Amino acid sequence: MAILPALLLAAMAGGQAKCQQEPEKPTAQQILENSIDRWNRMSPEERERELAKLPPARARVIRQRIWRYNHMRPEEQQALRERYQTFSQLSPEKQQIVRRRLQEFRELPAARQPIVHREVERVRLLPEAQREATFNGEPFRSQFSPAEQAMIRDLSTYLPN
Amino acid sequence: MNCPIESREPEILVAYAAGELELETARALERHLDGCAACRLMVADQAVVWRALDAWEAPSVSPDFDRRLYRRIDDGVRLTWWERITRPFRPMPLRQALPLTASAGLLLMAGLLLQHPTPVAPAAPAGQIVRANQVERTLDDLELLRHFNAADTDQSPHPDAM
Repeated sequence: MAILPALLLAAMAGGQAKCQQEPEKPTAQQILENSIDRWNRMSPEERERELAKLPPARARVIRQRIWRYNHMRPEEQQALRERYQTFSQLSPEKQQIVRRRLQEFRELPAARQPIVHREVERVRLLPEAQREATFNGEPFRSQFSPAEQAMIRDLSTYLPN
Repeated sequence: MNCPIESREPEILVAYAAGELELETARALERHLDGCAACRLMVADQAVVWRALDAWEAPSVSPDFDRRLYRRIDDGVRLTWWERITRPFRPMPLRQALPLTASAGLLLMAGLLLQHPTPVAPAAPAGQIVRANQVERTLDDLELLRHFNAADTDQSPHPDAM
């Protein structure tokens, strides 16, 4: 019973806290951290405890997907992390737009995907005015379907690097 | 996002630790947690409380529990007036007192932390708990981005990659 007053005293001795905003973190590793990185830093017991809350089949799939992510080629993983960083800093609404466009992109015929991808990469490097001129130009409209045009417009705007 | 501690809205940290926040709110909070040691510590403390509660198991009830309970109720009815007065002050057996004390201590600590979170140096990142469904959503987004990144390279993504 004597432990309870001691616990209370210890807790009260802590006093009022102030939120301590830390200085900006400049290193790339910290800037690019995502929830998979934080997951990887948890102890194996903590990870298993979290996975145990899901149906076993779903937990197994998540384990496999994390394993694949962790074993990607370093340069590929780095490129992905950078793009995800850009994505995660968008507002929730814009994230939803990009998510939808990427899903539509995945459903394009395999032959069209590289063409649309190249156009996104080309257009995103253009200055704003030139980009708008491209979108309004006849070659762009004739070369791409309306759905593809929307993909190129949104992805080049919201995923700018 | 405003600091939940400074704006006196620690409920959002509690909800985050319980995995009850919407994805967007959770992400906004995570960006704040990256720069706020006090909030990070509070989330870690909450996670400790949740884990302790998850690990606690109620003792099983013996088969003759009901019979013994009713017998004791009958005995209580036959108590003298002096026994009735002094009964609440009798020492509780240690076996019963310990779990009660521990539970009360945990609840008090959680309450005190909500009211008076302790200032700390930057917390160890190992204390952060990421929910599995949050990881799953991140994997979904990464997979979409990966497919897009790989669309114009020789190495097209494997259908079930990641």
